[in-house]
Amino acid sequence: MEYGFDITYIFDFIPKLLQVLHLTLAIVAGAIGIGLIVGLLAALPRLYKVPVLQRLSQVYTSFFRGTPILIQLFLFYYGLPELLKLVYIDVTKLPVLFFVIVTFGLNAGATISEIIRAAVTAVDRGQVEAAYSVGMSGYQAFARIVLPQAIAIAVPVFANLVIAMLKETSLAFALGVMELTGKAQTLGTLTRHFMETYIALAIIYLAVSFTLERILLLFERKLQRHMRRDAADAERRWRLWRGRKPMRERSPEVSGKEVPRYEA
Amino acid sequence: MIRLSGIRKSFGRQEVLKGIDLHVGKGEVVAILGPSGSGKTTLLRCINYLEKPGEGEIRIGDQALDARRAGKKDVHALRRRSAMVFQQYNLFSHKTALENVMEGLVVVKKMSKDEARKRGIALLEKVGLGAKLDAYPSRLSGGQQQRVGIARALALEPEVILFDEPTSALDPELVGEVLAVIRRIAKEGITMIIVTHEMGFAQDVANRVVFMDEGVIVEEGPPAQLFGNPKEERTRQFLKRLTPEASYTI
Ligand SMILES: Nc1ncnc2c1ncn2[C@@H]1O[C@H](COP(=O)(O)OP(=O)(O)O)[C@@H](O)[C@H]1O
Ligand SMILES: [Mg+2]
Repeated sequence: MEYGFDITYIFDFIPKLLQVLHLTLAIVAGAIGIGLIVGLLAALPRLYKVPVLQRLSQVYTSFFRGTPILIQLFLFYYGLPELLKLVYIDVTKLPVLFFVIVTFGLNAGATISEIIRAAVTAVDRGQVEAAYSVGMSGYQAFARIVLPQAIAIAVPVFANLVIAMLKETSLAFALGVMELTGKAQTLGTLTRHFMETYIALAIIYLAVSFTLERILLLFERKLQRHMRRDAADAERRWRLWRGRKPMRERSPEVSGKEVPRYEA
Repeated sequence: MIRLSGIRKSFGRQEVLKGIDLHVGKGEVVAILGPSGSGKTTLLRCINYLEKPGEGEIRIGDQALDARRAGKKDVHALRRRSAMVFQQYNLFSHKTALENVMEGLVVVKKMSKDEARKRGIALLEKVGLGAKLDAYPSRLSGGQQQRVGIARALALEPEVILFDEPTSALDPELVGEVLAVIRRIAKEGITMIIVTHEMGFAQDVANRVVFMDEGVIVEEGPPAQLFGNPKEERTRQFLKRLTPEASYTI
C-alpha cells in the first residue's frame, strides 16, 4: 500500500516519540553508569598487572569489543536465563530492559576500560613520583593525582562513546523494547507513514546528541582548565568550535602554529 | 641528620651504586657533583625510596630503614622525613600553585584546609610567587614551576630536602631566580642535599662537596678544598672539564 508523504505526520509523531525518550535515556544512563564502574574495575588489574584478573579483563574486553552488540543482546537475553537455570536462579521474570541495560553497560565497560587504560598511561609518571615523595600512599596518588588527570584526558573520547551509545540503543528494539526506535516502528506500522516516522526519529536523535555533546563539552572545558595554556588560546579554540570547524581545531598545522612556546 | 651506610643498587646486571656511605649533619648543605650516569639521581631516589636499594641502611633522624627488611610502613615513615625537588619540577598539573603546596599538607599531614592554605600562601610568597597562587603549572615559566616545587617541598617541613639538578632543565636566564631561592633557604639552616652542575653555586652554598663517579664516592670535602686542591685524579679531570663553562659566578 502506498501512502503519500505528509509532513504533518512528522509534527504529530514527534510528541508521541518523546513519550518514550526517557527509556532511551535510561538505557544510555544506566549503561554508562555500569560501564564506568565495570570499566574502572577492568582497567585496574591491567594497569597494575594483577596476574589472573589481568587475563580475565582481557578476555572480557576482547569479547565485548570484538562482537556485534546485537549478538550480545541476543546472547544475554536468551542465553543468560538458560545458563542461570543451571544454578537454579530464575531471571526469566526480569524485564527486558534489565537485560538491555546490563548488556549495553558491559559493552560500554569494555570500551571505557580501554579509555581509562590509555588515559592513565598518558598521565606523567613524574607526578606520581612527586605524589609518593610528599608521602602519599599508592591509593592516594592514584585517586588524587592520576585519576583526575586521566579523566580530563579521557573526556573527549568518552563524549564520543556516549553519543555512539545513544545511537546504538536503537538496537534494543530488536528485543521488543519500546524505546525511540521501537516506538517509531510501531507508529510506522500503524499509520503506514514510515518515512515520516523515520524523519521524526532522526530529528529527535539529532537533538538529543546535540544536547549531550554540548553538555559534555562544558565538562571537557571545566575538567581541562589546567591544560589550557592561556586565556587567548582557550578563546581561540572556543571561537573555532563555535565557527563549526571542530576538526580544524585539532589539526596539527593550526594548533602547532598558534600555541605559544613553553618550557619543558 | 642523615646517615647512609653501604647503599647498593643495581638495574639488571648493571650496578649503579656500589656501596655509598654518607653522613649529613643537621643544617648541613651537601652538594653532589659527578659526571652524568654516575648514579647521583639514583642515590637521591634511594634516599626518598622512589627506588628501592638492593642493600644498605638509610637513617633520617630517628627513623632507620634496612633495605632488606623494609616494610610499607617504614618506607612511608622514611619518605615523610624527606622531600624531593625534581629536575623536571613534576608539579601536579591539574592543581594550581597553591594547591600543589597544600596537597601534601592536607592529604598526608591531615592539616585543615585553612591552615594549609595559610602556610601555602606564606611559602609561595617566600619563593616570590605571591602573585601566582592560582596559576596552573602550564601557565608558569620553568623557573616559577621549580620555585613552586621548592615551596611544596618546604611545606612538609622535612628533615632533609633533596634537590636533583634543580636548574638543569631551565633556560639560562631563569637559573638565577631558582638558585637565589635555594640559597635563601640554605641560610635558614634546612638540611639539604643538592645534585648540581653549578659549581659557583655549590662553592658558596655547600658546607661540603661530594664527588661521585661510577657509583662510588670518590672524594668529599669542604668546597674550598675539593675545588681548590682535589686529592683524586678523577676529581681533577672532572673539574677541569667542567670549569670553563662554570667559571662565572651567579
Ligand atoms: N630505571 C632505570 N632502569 C635502568 N637503568 C637505570 C634506571 N635509572 C638509572 N639507570 C642507569 O643508572 C645509571 C645512573 O643513572 P643516574 O642515577 O640517573 O645518574 P646521574 O643522575 O648521575 O646522571 C645510568 O647508567 C642509567 O642509565
Ligand atoms: Mg641525574
